[in-house]
Amino acid sequence: MQKFFSNKKLIILMVLIIVTLGLLAVTVNIRDKKNTPPVVQQVGNDVVSVVGGVFAYPTNAVKNAISEFSDLYDTYSENKRLKSKIGELAQNQAKLEVVQDENKKLKQELKLNSTLTDYSTVNASVLSRSPSSWQSYLTINRGQTSGIKKNMPVMSGNGLIGRIVEVDKVSSKVELISTDNELNDKFAAEIAGSNNKNITGVVSRYDSASGDLVMENVNSTKDIKKGQSVITSGLGGLTPRGLYIGKVYGIKKDNYGMTNSVYITPAAELRNFTVVTVIKSSVSGER
Amino acid sequence: MNIKARKIVGQILFILLAFYLDGLMKWAFLNNMNRGTVVILPQLMLMMIVMLTMRIDNRRQLIFYGIVFGVLYDSYYYGIIGLYTVLLPLLMVGIDHFKFLLVKNNMGYELSIYFLSLTFLQSGIYLLERLLQQTSASVFDFITYTLGPTLLWNIVVLFILYIPIANLSEWLVKYRRDNK
Repeated sequence: MQKFFSNKKLIILMVLIIVTLGLLAVTVNIRDKKNTPPVVQQVGNDVVSVVGGVFAYPTNAVKNAISEFSDLYDTYSENKRLKSKIGELAQNQAKLEVVQDENKKLKQELKLNSTLTDYSTVNASVLSRSPSSWQSYLTINRGQTSGIKKNMPVMSGNGLIGRIVEVDKVSSKVELISTDNELNDKFAAEIAGSNNKNITGVVSRYDSASGDLVMENVNSTKDIKKGQSVITSGLGGLTPRGLYIGKVYGIKKDNYGMTNSVYITPAAELRNFTVVTVIKSSVSGER
Repeated sequence: MNIKARKIVGQILFILLAFYLDGLMKWAFLNNMNRGTVVILPQLMLMMIVMLTMRIDNRRQLIFYGIVFGVLYDSYYYGIIGLYTVLLPLLMVGIDHFKFLLVKNNMGYELSIYFLSLTFLQSGIYLLERLLQQTSASVFDFITYTLGPTLLWNIVVLFILYIPIANLSEWLVKYRRDNK
């Protein structure tokens, strides 16, 4: 016994390996199963993020300025394109108001308090992005105190960008939709405007080579056309119905030729934004 | 506050600054989310830490820095604790152990030590994450799309910033014993 434990370096190595794997296993489990990390970690992350805000605001200002310059660059062609849409938009808006009003009244009639399409929003600004290849997280400056919960979807200007994976008191982490992660990154989706047929599936993968989102488990691919828009279907979880994900790009068979997957060009330009919107669904699902 | 304590505060402040710069650089300039498979990870904190480790002789202080900033990095950026927390102190002790071999610090030595430590750290993180199924990337993808670009970018940055960073860390560590 004396001899076995006499090699100090060996023991240090052993303890090190046990501690490493233990720590990792425990924290991964906490992240996956608990709604919030331990209080110590929350407070630590909050302090770091509050101080980080001091550095983040000037960076965001610079980022905004740069993106304004690049916007300026293609203003002319964009203006042309947008002008053609303006007339249509005003008409749609008027129609939307009428329909929303009608919808509200009908809901009152039916005594429906909230449906899958109802949600409220919280705006937050981005503090940093993780320098990590597989945890592509954004840190944002809103947390539990603003009513944010784990698994809530997050949008930027145009479309869905990800979901909340960790909530601290005044900050939280957003896992981007472009993460190549088997476990968490799934959104129940449907293809809108397909002749009253309900085409549903799960946006479950990100193809990093082409930059497309991949929708799997699609129930029928018969009527899908390129350019149709894909929205969240609101089935299960904390995601409301009707959040815009992107446009259909094409259909491909999987490696075995068994199932079809729909490739989606994401709507959110995941580069030029500094503010995100967290969606709080009014109807909570099972979780 | 005596000069030694002031130097230590200075060291901590500059490592913290580099810590924040890692996330902000990634967010502001290397933020490829829509397209492109190449992932560049800025590692300015590691740069600062390697340069300081080359100059600090107190091993206990090094281990302390390694654990504190490792926990911070893991908790704030990775959300799981145990990657930097373990690899960073290990790396610093390793550098401290072998730095007597180098007669005098010069750019070539320090660049290659930074190169080795970055490779060690990123490969360690990849192995641990792979072990815990946090990623499904294959080894070849990791080397081509993550490790390679990251090494290239960081080495170029260190090459450009070598003189200011070296002078800064020299100033943060060395002090004459007579002026208290």
